[in-house]
Amino acid sequence: MTPPQPEYPFFIALAIGVTGISVLLGSPAWYLNIALLLLVCGILVITRTLHERGFYLVCAGEPLVVACGIMNLWAGLFSACMLAGIVYGALGLLESQKDLIPFALFCGGSFIIALLIQVSNHVPLALLVIGGLTAVILAIQSVRTYQFRKQYTGA
Amino acid sequence: MAILFAGGTLVAALLGQYLLFDKGLREIVASVDIERSLSRNPVRKGTPLQVTAIVTGRGSSRMQVQIADLIPPHTILVDGVTTVTINPDPSSQVRQLSYQIVPDIHGTQPFSGVSVTVGNLFFEDTVQLTRERDREPVLSVQPSGFFEPPVSELSEGNLDSRKLSVWRGTDIHSLREYSPGDDIRHVDWKISAKYGKLFVKRYTGEMSSPPLIILDLPWSSVPWPAKEFDRMISDVTGMVKHTLQTYQYVSVLLISGPNILHLIREEKNLSRCISELREWMHPAERQDHFYHMKDRSDLRSSVRECENGLQQTPDPGMQAFYEAMRDRYLTVLQYQRVPAFSGQVARTLSQVTITEAYLFSLGCGDTSHIRQLARLLQSQNIRVHIRIMDAAVAREARP
Repeated sequence: MTPPQPEYPFFIALAIGVTGISVLLGSPAWYLNIALLLLVCGILVITRTLHERGFYLVCAGEPLVVACGIMNLWAGLFSACMLAGIVYGALGLLESQKDLIPFALFCGGSFIIALLIQVSNHVPLALLVIGGLTAVILAIQSVRTYQFRKQYTGA
Repeated sequence: MAILFAGGTLVAALLGQYLLFDKGLREIVASVDIERSLSRNPVRKGTPLQVTAIVTGRGSSRMQVQIADLIPPHTILVDGVTTVTINPDPSSQVRQLSYQIVPDIHGTQPFSGVSVTVGNLFFEDTVQLTRERDREPVLSVQPSGFFEPPVSELSEGNLDSRKLSVWRGTDIHSLREYSPGDDIRHVDWKISAKYGKLFVKRYTGEMSSPPLIILDLPWSSVPWPAKEFDRMISDVTGMVKHTLQTYQYVSVLLISGPNILHLIREEKNLSRCISELREWMHPAERQDHFYHMKDRSDLRSSVRECENGLQQTPDPGMQAFYEAMRDRYLTVLQYQRVPAFSGQVARTLSQVTITEAYLFSLGCGDTSHIRQLARLLQSQNIRVHIRIMDAAVAREARP
């Protein structure tokens, strides 16, 4: 008997969560969430044997995240975290307890982003902050990479 | 807002994965070490060299690690593999690489370093380690000529020597169709244009023979100058070593007066050659002597000198002297046989291929055998260099 794959519990949680939130919030476009959920479900089943399964799941799941985010930002955060769980599970990145750390970090980062968007009333400000942070991280990383290569190439 | 959130989470996920990958890459690269050993160093250009490399490194879960040993520039990999794969296991792992390279340019060539390729599901990166310790040892490639294959084959109807020739000669031996790997400079363009396909010239090999070292040992029954003898031994040993290094083999002929004692023929092993020399290099008993015997050419020139003197002198006493001397020389010339020593030397020389000879002698006592030997060698177009420890005798013995 093969052990249960970790992406399915996350999908079940996503399905229950999205359905519940859509019902509770009484969104006029609830059927869109359900349709996108079915799309994710279909991709999850169809791409079981494909090598690039993670990519297809991200492509299918992001519209659901956007749709949930339009309905409610915290619903979007929930769906983003569940989608990340599905993708991580499909890629085999949740095989041990240690693997939960990157997943938890992603959830934490997403929460911060959601919080940032929530507190800022305008898109450009949040975009500027997220873009700026990304640029700073990339700049620091570039310097570190340069130093690292310099050390090992004997230059 | 929702699109920004979705995009932000995607960027965060990608950035996080990249940072994790970078952390793993650094740990793996820091653990890589390589220790190479060469089958020989220095090596001659064009000869294969066996390299054994011990690679140490650690893996990481879900990361594929490949470590490649980068061979020196201007060398060709002819056998073996230079890449190992490290298991995705965090413990330190040791792998051995074994391969053969052929250097094609002379000079000092350090290894190019080590290439570490690390990849995971999302990213892949290669780091080339070119620190000094990753490039050791420095390969010293000595120059050499074209290594020609045997220039003649019986299947082609030739009866030439099948010995490998180190140096390419200048004479064209034959033509054959071009095959990949042939030197493009050997293509005969005229013939190729005529027949519409490439033909390469095959050159005859050029022989480069080491000189024959002849050591004339003193007669043990008479006193000999010990200091000069030691110097001669030292010179001969040095020359033997030098010849072996240059030509890979050496031939030494040991004589004592007109007596052939021993021939060390085309010896390739230095220690064996030296031990043989140690056994023989001491004053020897001479069974045969020349007793300052002039050889036939000396006698003929003496006859000519007497005849010249006879014509030039008006003194009847001197004329009688020259006549008597001339008759004596002619009588000796008439009965003198070719000495056995000449035949023995000729037979000995037929066993070795030489174009040059070095004759070492103390020059004490009778030196007529040195003149005979030198003339015999010269008659076979062999250049002779005579090294006599006593300079005064050297002048006398010069042929």
